[in-house]
Amino acid sequence: MSQATPQPALRRRSILKGALTGAAVLSLGALLEACGAQPSRGDRAADTGGQASAGRDTGKEIPLLRVSLPGSLSNLYPGQESGVLNYYAAAVAMEGLVGVDGDGKLVPALASAVTKRDDRTHVYTLREGARFHDGSPVTVEDVLHSVTMAADSTVSPGTASYWADLESATQTGPNEITLVSKSGAVAFEWLATSAQALWIAPKSYWESTGGKIGTATSLLTGSGPYQVTEFKPDSHLELTRNPHWWGTAPKVAKLRIDFIPDDNTRRLAWQSGETHASLNVPLTAARQWESIKGTRVVHTPDRSYAGLTFNTTVAPFDDPHVRRAVAHAVDRAAIVKEVLQGHGQVATALSTPEQFGGLWTPEEATAKLAAVPQYEYSLEKAKAELDRSKVPGGFSVDLSYPSSGPHLGTAALALAAELKKIGITLNVKELPLEQWIAEINSFPGLTFFWYFNTTGDPGEIVSWLLGPDNPAKYENPQVSELVGRAATTGDPAARAELLLQAQQAQAADAAYAPLWWGQSALALRDTVGISGYSSYTMVSQWPTRIYAAV
Amino acid sequence: MPLKGAGGARPLAGFVARRLGTALLLLFLLSLLVYGLVFLAPGDIARNLLGTRNATPEALAQVRAQYHLDEPFLRQYWRWLSGLLGGDLGTSVRTGEPVSSVLAERLGLTAALCSLAFGLSVLVGVPAGVAAALRRGRLADRLLVGGSVVGVSAPGFAVGLLLLYVFGVGLEWFPVYGTGTGFLDGLWHLALPSVALALGLGAFVVKLTRAAVVRELEEDYVVFARSRGLGGRRVLGVVLRNAAVPVVTSLGLLVAYLLGGTVLVETTFALPGLGSLLESSVLFKDFAVVQALTLVTALVVSLVTLAVDLAYLAVDPRMRTRAGVGR
Repeated sequence: MSQATPQPALRRRSILKGALTGAAVLSLGALLEACGAQPSRGDRAADTGGQASAGRDTGKEIPLLRVSLPGSLSNLYPGQESGVLNYYAAAVAMEGLVGVDGDGKLVPALASAVTKRDDRTHVYTLREGARFHDGSPVTVEDVLHSVTMAADSTVSPGTASYWADLESATQTGPNEITLVSKSGAVAFEWLATSAQALWIAPKSYWESTGGKIGTATSLLTGSGPYQVTEFKPDSHLELTRNPHWWGTAPKVAKLRIDFIPDDNTRRLAWQSGETHASLNVPLTAARQWESIKGTRVVHTPDRSYAGLTFNTTVAPFDDPHVRRAVAHAVDRAAIVKEVLQGHGQVATALSTPEQFGGLWTPEEATAKLAAVPQYEYSLEKAKAELDRSKVPGGFSVDLSYPSSGPHLGTAALALAAELKKIGITLNVKELPLEQWIAEINSFPGLTFFWYFNTTGDPGEIVSWLLGPDNPAKYENPQVSELVGRAATTGDPAARAELLLQAQQAQAADAAYAPLWWGQSALALRDTVGISGYSSYTMVSQWPTRIYAAV
Repeated sequence: MPLKGAGGARPLAGFVARRLGTALLLLFLLSLLVYGLVFLAPGDIARNLLGTRNATPEALAQVRAQYHLDEPFLRQYWRWLSGLLGGDLGTSVRTGEPVSSVLAERLGLTAALCSLAFGLSVLVGVPAGVAAALRRGRLADRLLVGGSVVGVSAPGFAVGLLLLYVFGVGLEWFPVYGTGTGFLDGLWHLALPSVALALGLGAFVVKLTRAAVVRELEEDYVVFARSRGLGGRRVLGVVLRNAAVPVVTSLGLLVAYLLGGTVLVETTFALPGLGSLLESSVLFKDFAVVQALTLVTALVVSLVTLAVDLAYLAVDPRMRTRAGVGR
């Protein structure tokens, strides 16, 4: 998954915006249970603004659905260009062995059943009768070749590193594939999803295109509910319903996705009535969109985390008092209210509440995560901490933010005003996204961390921020031990408990100061509805949930 | 065109050859410079490709090795240059596609957009400039000059949005974004973008033409011709021919301006052309694409400048002598 994605972030088509795949090495969620394909919970989407499922389902066919995306795509295959929008597009045309449901749990896709023989061995039974867009049957050979391609750093630079944990991929029966993990990490089970690192195409197609799929001339071909019929990079994508798909035929016959990078143009296009749905409407413009007749804007948690990272090896942040002083100076509630206009949640920890799907509801998870020790907003306490530090007189430090996240910049300026009162000068600067990424990877003392979880694995971000080589250069044997145990703990409840304990232990050291868990906004016409819309919808086969509404 | 005739063709060929030689040298230096600038620019291609995920050092190293990003600068440049000399523009790191096909997909759109904008600005700008000069100091002149100041100062994307709001959403005469299908629909889709792009350029042409014509009108030969009883139309003919020299020369330079303007206009109108490609490629540090785009642009500008110089020779006989052509 990626930092740096949400609404305006998607303005540029670059990959950087938001790779979907999780870096996580750990995961919870029992696969066997997950594959029971429970229906997703209703609309938790609409805690603010409109409802995705508003209107009555007429049951009528939608001949053409037009969707506008805030960025541009140059290549549709997420292994090559792994931005979050590439995942949205690929999820419609291609499938993995498993998929993800509205709660973030794994559900069957091209595999009709999954069993875990032991901690390391995952056995998938291929769905009978599944066919590719050209009508040819999906074979074990196609699946194995697609795994090889996804793990190949030349063909799939974006996803190859996730397959590093793969020990072997073999055929173990006429319709059976066995994937063996080297480490036994729970997160391994997410690899075979199209929400993370596997898109299955015919072996012959991989071979005839030399592995270069997803371009304008070698269109994505898979087994998903829609077939790509036209792709013009940075312009549009057209898909038609796949008559061979194994699932229930969706209502949308034809789908056209337009890439409109400029937010103003996108709103004007909406006003002129040219589109039915528009993703990632800028938070700052949500009200303008809502005021357009026949439009509703749905806000939903997007599983993003925004926070401050202190490099614990760089002065003055090697002093815990300095880190605590800064943490006390952040008024998170005011930032959520004023900067995000209420479309977000004060982050009390690193994991987002939506990632405990199957174990806790987001509300339950919020309560659990609130138990992590907090640094309340108090300039007195901030000053007191600073007085006890090695730099009681204050200091000067830079904080940069990506141009794709203007709200990070506003939050930084608010923080700068607070810090100034206790003698700390914060120099805020804006950088193009790519430069910002280069800068945070040089690990200066203070950086923003902006990350979009994609999996439903609560360990996704924790394993990165509290694991080895973390961006805060933070070392705490107790935390490492807890994170290490969580990596291979199969029981979801036990694993969640370990992850919570790790975050509690870290909070005392304040290597990270969480700010908010974000939301994203989707604009919909009153003539269409989406059933069961959640923060996971867009990485599943989302057009199948769309209906004509009255 | 008075360039032909005995003894004219060979020196002309020499002139063109010299100019092409200079252009090639310029392209070489430019490619080295741009490669160097992209190389030095902040950012890391391997990280850009892998996104902001938690990439392992091994994964980064693998990507760097695959695209030879771990080699020294000159070696990388040589790898690119030798490929180019063999007719291979390289592969885009971002999309994994050959640069030649990436360019081929987009060249037509940008060429059409630029041609329309150029045509519009010249067809409207030159007559307007002449009209303003002939009515110097009067209301029509002031309106035209005032209007062109606004045109020159208005940024292309702002004009684009305004046009979209009025003609796309308000009046619904034109589509808001995209390219359309087929020739006529495509032309219809390009109308607003080309007007947005042409506005600044056209305003510049108005000011340029007006200044040139005004200067000529003040020349002694005009007074003399008029005093000798030459008709207004014949005098104007001479004036325009003389005024054409600075105008035609500047038009060559305007092509470069036009190509720069496409970056903003293509983004505003969601057009998949070279301008939007340049923006994303530069930010991504996609060497091969940036190089190819720079060279294409430089080549176009060089060729246009050459064509302008040839036209210059045609317009002004004195220049033929100076250029060593046509004696």
